[in-house]
Amino acid sequence: MMRTLFYLLREAWANIWTNRTTTVVAIFTTAFTLACVGIFLLLYVNLRAAAGWLQEDIKIMVYLDDRAVASTVSELDRQLRADRAVAALHFVSKEQALGEFRTQFPSDSHLLEGLGQNPLPASFVVTLSPPFRSPEAVKRWAERIGGLAGVEKVDYNQDWIDALSTIIRSIELVAIGIGLILSAAAVTIIANTIRLTLFARRHEIAILRLIGATKTFIRVPYLLEGAVLGGLGSACSLFMLNALYELFRHQMRTTGRLRGLEQLTMFFPLSICLLLVGVGIVLGFAGSFVSLRRFDEAKV
Amino acid sequence: MIQLVHVTKQYDRRLALSDVSLEVQKGEFVLLMGPSGAGKSTLLRMLIGAERPDHGQVVVNGKNVGTLKASEIPYLRRKVGTVFQDFQLLVKKSVFENVALPLLVQGVSQTDIKRKVTEALRAVGVEHKREQLPMSLSTGEQQRVCIARAIVNGPVVLLADEPTGNLDPALTGEIIELFKLINARGTTVLVATHDPSVMTQVNRRVVTLVQGSLMPEQRVTL
Repeated sequence: MMRTLFYLLREAWANIWTNRTTTVVAIFTTAFTLACVGIFLLLYVNLRAAAGWLQEDIKIMVYLDDRAVASTVSELDRQLRADRAVAALHFVSKEQALGEFRTQFPSDSHLLEGLGQNPLPASFVVTLSPPFRSPEAVKRWAERIGGLAGVEKVDYNQDWIDALSTIIRSIELVAIGIGLILSAAAVTIIANTIRLTLFARRHEIAILRLIGATKTFIRVPYLLEGAVLGGLGSACSLFMLNALYELFRHQMRTTGRLRGLEQLTMFFPLSICLLLVGVGIVLGFAGSFVSLRRFDEAKV
Repeated sequence: MIQLVHVTKQYDRRLALSDVSLEVQKGEFVLLMGPSGAGKSTLLRMLIGAERPDHGQVVVNGKNVGTLKASEIPYLRRKVGTVFQDFQLLVKKSVFENVALPLLVQGVSQTDIKRKVTEALRAVGVEHKREQLPMSLSTGEQQRVCIARAIVNGPVVLLADEPTGNLDPALTGEIIELFKLINARGTTVLVATHDPSVMTQVNRRVVTLVQGSLMPEQRVTL
């Protein structure tokens, strides 16, 4: 068993070494293709993070009924704090609301003077947890809270939430679309490299078939070769992307107007880098598999 | 051991085998004669599942080759050794590695591989060439290596397709003697050749194919 495994690994290495020029070209072509996927992925990750920050800024105002007694308000406070959808909460009294109004709109503060009493209601300012920030979830939550005792009205910027959600969905769709197209290109590149290897070694494969080698035994070295091509291509693409990213940050630092913004950008964390190398291996494996299927059908 | 029952095979419009029926008993040595294009190679390829009959049955070692699944063919081939005119050796691997290949694909242990390969190389008389590459050997030696590879895992049947096609008469005699020796150890041997001189060296059953049809049998006794 070990000897067979050793033989298969040695064969995979022999394939790579014998066709080293083709292998290097395939690794770099794959790397460039995956780097294009990576650019979009990096854009997506950063835009998604930016959208996340914007979503954190979405506040939901739970206005209280002026007639609500203290016990009702404290019960409402308890219920909101116990709600798993609520990430943060703070209470704004009628007086605080008036103060804030005067601070924010000093030229309009005289409008409230003639009313005699403070018309602004007390409120809870709520920030929802990330899983409850979709337009539908916000709407459902607002409807539920609006029915609680002591609540006059639940207010939030529906248009802004909808717009943000649309932007995030569009970014996701574009990233997935481009990712799929370029991944298919990477599979094709690796498939062609393996096809060349298979053609070069068709005589050897024919002999292996004649002496009773199973399909698996014949295929494993080529599948390993494809996986190595994909993995190395993906790792190279990450190095290229990281170099581009650092260059971009450096440009931002030295360009006066965008200074400081580079602190908000991020590269892939290690876990995502490893995942991308894993994806490269899977794509390489798929490329080899496609070629082997065609080779078997053609019986070259 | 080998049974063909009314086997017919056609490539496009060319009839390669026409209603061929043949039975080879266990331990027999049969010479399959016929001119080039008579259908000898097609018949041998059918015995290892490389071709399927259009009509009829091909049975080898109790297996109906025509109905075997693709995944079962390798296991049939492990029981059938094959020798070719052009040797079909891997030029970048040593003699030892070439002969070890059928054992390697079966997952045989390293110790057994060493033992069996050494025995096979000794049986065909090229044990001293074990580390050399095939291209550094003479044609006769290359054919001996090919035979060693075919017998290394103890097949029940040995098929040879024009095994002496590239050899001079003296070497042809040596190779035929080797086949006789393998046959004497109990392996069924079927040798296909167009060379009438082989027939004179083999005192065994002869079947003749002409344009895909089997002729009445003869036994050559010298």
